[in-house]
Amino acid sequence: MADDAHAAHGIDDHADHKPPFLVRWFFSTNHKDIGTLYLIFAILAGIIGGAMSGMMRMELAEPGVTFLTHFTGGNEEAAYNFYNVLITYHGLIMIFFMVMPAMIGGFGNWFVPIMIGAPDMAFPRMNNISFWLYGASGILITLSMFAPGYGSNIGFGGGWVLYPPLSSTTGSPGPAMDLLILSLHLAGASSILGAINFITTIFNMRAPGMTLHKMPLFAWSVLVTAFLLVLSLPVLAGAITMLLTDRNFGTSFFDAAGGGDPILYQHLFWFFGHPEVYILILPGFGIISHIVSTFSKKPIFGYLGMAYAMVAIGFVGFIVWAHHMYTVGLSVNMKAYFVAATMVIAVPTGIKIFSWIATMWGGSIEFKTPMVWAVGFIFLFTVGGVTGVVLANAGVDHYMHDTYYVVAHFHYVLSLGAVFAIFAGWYYWFGKMTGRMYREWLGQLHFWVMFVGVNLIFFPQHFLGLQGMPRRYIDYPDAFALWNQVSTWGYFITIIGMFIFLIAMIDAFFIYRKKAPANPWGEGATTLEWTLPSPPPHHQFNELPRFDKGDAKAF
Amino acid sequence: MKKLTASLTTIGAGLWGAAHAQLTPGGIGMQPANSGVAEEVHFFHNVILMPIITVISLFVLALLIWIILRYNKKANPVPRKFSHNTLIEVIWTGIPILILLVIALPSFELLFKEDVTPDGKQVVAVGDGQTVNFVFDNDFPARRMVERGGHLQVIIDDGAEQRTLKRRADYGVEGFGEAEIVVSFDQPPAPGERVIIRGGRSKDSRGDIVMAPTMTLKATGKQWSWVHNYPDFGDFEVFSQMATEDQTTKELYRLEVDNRIVVPVGETIRLTTTADDVIHAWAMPAFAVKIDAVPGRINETWFKADREGVFYGQCSEICGVRHSFMPIGIEVVSRPAFEAWIDSQRELAGMAPMFDTNEMKLAQGSVDADAADAEQE
Repeated sequence: MADDAHAAHGIDDHADHKPPFLVRWFFSTNHKDIGTLYLIFAILAGIIGGAMSGMMRMELAEPGVTFLTHFTGGNEEAAYNFYNVLITYHGLIMIFFMVMPAMIGGFGNWFVPIMIGAPDMAFPRMNNISFWLYGASGILITLSMFAPGYGSNIGFGGGWVLYPPLSSTTGSPGPAMDLLILSLHLAGASSILGAINFITTIFNMRAPGMTLHKMPLFAWSVLVTAFLLVLSLPVLAGAITMLLTDRNFGTSFFDAAGGGDPILYQHLFWFFGHPEVYILILPGFGIISHIVSTFSKKPIFGYLGMAYAMVAIGFVGFIVWAHHMYTVGLSVNMKAYFVAATMVIAVPTGIKIFSWIATMWGGSIEFKTPMVWAVGFIFLFTVGGVTGVVLANAGVDHYMHDTYYVVAHFHYVLSLGAVFAIFAGWYYWFGKMTGRMYREWLGQLHFWVMFVGVNLIFFPQHFLGLQGMPRRYIDYPDAFALWNQVSTWGYFITIIGMFIFLIAMIDAFFIYRKKAPANPWGEGATTLEWTLPSPPPHHQFNELPRFDKGDAKAF
Repeated sequence: MKKLTASLTTIGAGLWGAAHAQLTPGGIGMQPANSGVAEEVHFFHNVILMPIITVISLFVLALLIWIILRYNKKANPVPRKFSHNTLIEVIWTGIPILILLVIALPSFELLFKEDVTPDGKQVVAVGDGQTVNFVFDNDFPARRMVERGGHLQVIIDDGAEQRTLKRRADYGVEGFGEAEIVVSFDQPPAPGERVIIRGGRSKDSRGDIVMAPTMTLKATGKQWSWVHNYPDFGDFEVFSQMATEDQTTKELYRLEVDNRIVVPVGETIRLTTTADDVIHAWAMPAFAVKIDAVPGRINETWFKADREGVFYGQCSEICGVRHSFMPIGIEVVSRPAFEAWIDSQRELAGMAPMFDTNEMKLAQGSVDADAADAEQE
């Protein structure tokens, strides 16, 4: 898409030496093109993952197994399995193939080098292999969905956490699980390479004079995220490799019968899994900071506090993992520690929320599309955050654990938090990336329909959780029917919102066709990307911007 | 309804009334509590956590609405330029810390209450009008010794009512933390009055010491049913699967089981869980209990049901294809009904009856032996 827009725009094409199509998009070493590829990948994955949630919500609309049997020729047992497969792959796809590629691969690749005044990433070829490993990983996870799993059923249906023995040969003897492990290996390798690339780029390629304390917050957020990736993904890789050898080569790391321990897997998994949820949201924090500052026409309030709050969240994120495991039989003292550590996270998160509010305070705010998404994000993330404080208390979590309360909590911070941040960033940078503007009222309409829809999906799930409805259930007692039905209505409203989004994009490219100026947002937009034309030239900053004179800042 | 209950349970309907789900159709709150611990979970969530998080969310919402009204482009055309204020930053770091402390203290208390199986024991002596000193054997492990007043409770039961005495005013104590604790009265208890001395560190929400478990219930998860064993009563097995649609009511379908487990009311029950194949989780929202059943491990927790009735839980760890269809059904009954049920189960398993149900003597487990000691004083 950047291609068409760019050609139409015709900025310094003569000097730009854009490679031909195949070389440009398949052998790409250009951070913007790779970022675009990641974004396209994320959109496709998001459509698949979103369709899966639709199938789940359709099934859960009323008690009884009535919908998924259409896909299994009326076989109820296969429908049960299919539901489990849906929850598993919905989670994995949304986390690994939608949010991560969009935030880090997409926006990170596009804007980190530009924001720090670098011509490209430090290792452009490694950047290319990062993306294509993702492609290979996507193929493997797709194959996994259709490979034999348990009995005559296809796919792995055990939740995205892949706990053995359900994921070992006991619970899923078929090759579906092996393919899934290999898929995650590749996705993990891709992310580790990407993270190394970001760390190197940010540490070594900042424009002259741009100290870390002058660096834009989005670059800060990606830097912290990259460290989390580098430190946590190898642990996941280790855990799933142990699982792979348990399954295929006779080891028994997680097999109690051979002296192993299924709980060991959970410790390893969540040592990765908890930082992972911050990996999903931290770049969103960066995006929201820029948008709030831009549209308030004010500098970010408490810049250093904001940067170090992210560092603190990243650090504490590594020492709270067992709060996902309060019911596995940990000793009470261990639980008490994890309760205390987990609650600490609320402090830096509170600093961020209040600093965004203080940034807006006294501003002259234009509620353009990216800004309404950002304000929506702040409120919804707060709601998701405070239910996290509830769940942090092991004494209450013994009641809430694995109920819909947890589902509501993490969808508020991810589906309503991370996804709102992605849409905010998308509308914020859409003009910059494509050279086209979207129609403002379509963006606003998209926001309001989505806002109503997702709240209708997930708010009633708190009620279901409090009533005790367990998660990952295809069928439920009649008493849970009302709120499940409301939740399903919410899905239909959300899907209308997604159609509005697609219409807005088609409209922007083919009907509206309004050219984006270099800086559509005015005086508030101060980071370096707004100094470049929209879209930026294939190679930017032939002459590096300087920050070593006066008190110039890049945020 | 009654008919169904009768057909589904082994000792017949009528003893504890018709089963009903704890769920409220369209309900938005927690399931009614049926244990002291569950009541405290409700209190902690409904009275402490919920109000705090609601106020915080509404506060943030109010700030955002204020900003939208006051600082939009029309209302405030010229933005201010400040970007720091140390005082406010200290405040919004400090106040959340204080709020978290307010949450953390009751949270830890609740957690330890839930996770430490009570080990309280009591000695019962009968007053003879002369004896003023009564001995309580403090044979707890060093960590759990009866060390101070709060760990000891003295109750006088005159047959009509039980009265909890006050230390110093009503009785004196010597020997806290030592092997023998002597409780002494100024006035000897009247002949026939029962003196109950309880010691232990676990207390319920009313401040009463909670007794050690009187029995162990062992739950084993398997794809996709629950096996419950009663090791204290001959280790017979209760195999329960979800009741089919025509075995139960519309309301209870997917909660009801073909064979419910039965426990006595008002007694501490030790629950241990394990699994045969994959991980499952034994959950009973009415008792605020949820504990994973992990192959190769035995997990332990406890509950003490306050009321008789039938309660339901559902497997709470994904365990494969029929994960949604392995509920847990538990009947809380009086001690005599429990003993009758035990004997009927033993009979089914080919064992002799264990209880002489005519005498209806309360079995207090190890506590009875201690009572004998005390009576010798």
